[in-house]
Amino acid sequence: MSLSPAGVPRRGTTRRTLLAAVGAAGAASGLGMPFIRPAEAEGPIRIGLLLAKTGSIAAQAQYLSYGTYLAAAERGHRINGRPLELVWYDEPSTQGAQQNFHKLVQEEKVVAVLGGTLSSYALAEEAVAQQLKIPYCCDNAAATEITGRNCNRFTFRLNTPVQVQANMFAPFLMGYGKKWYFLTASYAFGQDIARSFKALLKAAGGTIVGDDTVPLNTSDYSAYILKIRAAQPDMVLGGLAGDLGTCLKQWNDMGMKGKIPFAEIAIGDSDIWGVGPQAATGIYTSLWWYKNPANTPAEQRMAADHEKKYGKPAADKSWMGWLSARSLFESIEAAKSTRPMAIVEALEHWKDSGTGVFYRPFDHQMMLPNLVVKVKSKITDKWDFFDVIATVPKNRADLSKAYGSEAGIGCHFPPA
Amino acid sequence: MLSLWLSQLANGLVLGGLYVLIAIGLSIIFGLLGIVNFAHGAFFALGAYFAVTLFNALGWPAVVLAPILVGLVGMVVERLLIHRLYDKEPLVSLIVTFALALMLEALTRVIWGGLGLPFSAPPFLSGIFLWGPVLVTRYRFFVFATTVALLVALWACLQFTPYGRILRAGSRDPEMVGLLGIRLPRVLTAVFGLGCAIAGIAGVLAAPLWTVDPTISENAIMPAFVIVTIGGLGSFPGAVIAGLLVGEVVTITIQFAPAASGAIMYIFMAAVLLVRPRGLLGERWERFE
Repeated sequence: MSLSPAGVPRRGTTRRTLLAAVGAAGAASGLGMPFIRPAEAEGPIRIGLLLAKTGSIAAQAQYLSYGTYLAAAERGHRINGRPLELVWYDEPSTQGAQQNFHKLVQEEKVVAVLGGTLSSYALAEEAVAQQLKIPYCCDNAAATEITGRNCNRFTFRLNTPVQVQANMFAPFLMGYGKKWYFLTASYAFGQDIARSFKALLKAAGGTIVGDDTVPLNTSDYSAYILKIRAAQPDMVLGGLAGDLGTCLKQWNDMGMKGKIPFAEIAIGDSDIWGVGPQAATGIYTSLWWYKNPANTPAEQRMAADHEKKYGKPAADKSWMGWLSARSLFESIEAAKSTRPMAIVEALEHWKDSGTGVFYRPFDHQMMLPNLVVKVKSKITDKWDFFDVIATVPKNRADLSKAYGSEAGIGCHFPPA
Repeated sequence: MLSLWLSQLANGLVLGGLYVLIAIGLSIIFGLLGIVNFAHGAFFALGAYFAVTLFNALGWPAVVLAPILVGLVGMVVERLLIHRLYDKEPLVSLIVTFALALMLEALTRVIWGGLGLPFSAPPFLSGIFLWGPVLVTRYRFFVFATTVALLVALWACLQFTPYGRILRAGSRDPEMVGLLGIRLPRVLTAVFGLGCAIAGIAGVLAAPLWTVDPTISENAIMPAFVIVTIGGLGSFPGAVIAGLLVGEVVTITIQFAPAASGAIMYIFMAAVLLVRPRGLLGERWERFE
């Protein structure tokens, strides 16, 4: 309704109002203004990111976040037509991580959470996921219990558990000899490594010629290295995680590089890059390597995007953040809903189109083969440190055996 | 077994040398200025980071500039912040420098990132010496020799030069030194810069052996405090003896009970303080009583 010049309301449609109405309708439909599409009316889908911003593990968390943001970017930051928003909170401590999980859900209204930089944080976070009934995709933590006896319906884990990596890696390492020296850090991850590999070595008839438990954040390894030198093992099995770089630098300084093989599971690419070409050495398991010729087209595209956006190659942690986020985003899309149980059910049926990896239904563990990588004897590129020397297990059919049976895992989901 | 023992003892001595170098700057700052500098580890870290940056930009010779830069940063910090703490209780300086340490660590994270930076010893210092059964690496021997040379130079400077006499007198009675017409504030700025520069030297020398990331400061600060406490707060020779002893105690513990090696220096400190509460060579200071 419009007014006549005298202020009396006019009835009917004038030429001017008709033109305005047609113009507005054209703008709304033709230009496709996103804010009036029905799905958009529900607002953005918010996903929580719980990754450490401080401490020695923050370096790995940084790469995990790179991968997560790339996964969001490659789908145009949208799921089912709705904007996708990532909200990143810190993991300052076990208790702090739990508090931040609560804040993400209750204050930031996230529909799911990605994260778990350290096993201790992940174990604490998965308890909150169960309590709040929120889907939680753990991308980095490797403690066996996460999808073992502490498992729950809402938790999904990407990284390969320590025991499984040991099952895959130990037979390969036996080829170097069966006289091993153990050098493991005195916390959950190191102890898990020592326990798993010792059992496998003993079962294979091997000998433990030395076994040192190293306090976390040890800055000087020279006395340990002298002991190893005197023991003359066939191989050193490390479990030092964040302290590995310092150990390798001093290993090289004491003339041990190339003398006795050094092996460890689950090395982060950023750890070895920080050691530098001069001191880097060893044989490791890794989930992904940016120069692996077997990478799928989607992985190659992600690696190229990573290099373009961040100015450095994608690390294994970038890939882990990327794949974990993709599994969640694609599952929300498939569920066509943000209801927690709908997302959980979609994650249980998710399968990556490129690599074919999936979460096992009975414990929500991602079924991934591992790579065995060896530091090149001569490094000419400051990023290209590894040669991929094997994929373990050799046959995909052996994956289930390596990851353990339902009866052996000990996972029983509590009532959802 | 004997050869391993001899190697471990020699190794403990060399490790002790590195500990002395880390602790001596802290000891000087406390002994002469009365400041409990909790940011000492952050200055150590700055030394390591400056060394990596200078090496990448200009090569090995430029690395010697790193401690000088750390000293200059220390002097700026003293002028802006530390000089306000001289008449305060030591506890205040501990709290303020703790905040400074957190700030400097955050700053290194912003500038250099959270990832470890690769850095190794120069090629001419790579390799090992084998003296009979004793193994010492060329680089660690260089660190030990540098520490000894630096300690001798510092001792000579404090004992035999007019500057050293002013410093020693100023640390005991600043008012009297001022009445003698000496501009003590400038001297104190230089002392703080010197302590930071020594932390910087330690950082430069540790960088090829330790991972250069933002947590490198944490690995330095605790041994430094333990050694200064064992040696006696502010005692120059006390810090030297304590550093060498801690190196040996840690090494021997690794040989027999590696899991206890992280705690042993604290146990050793507790044992010393039970027998001598002021530390091995600590004196009674009126200012702090």
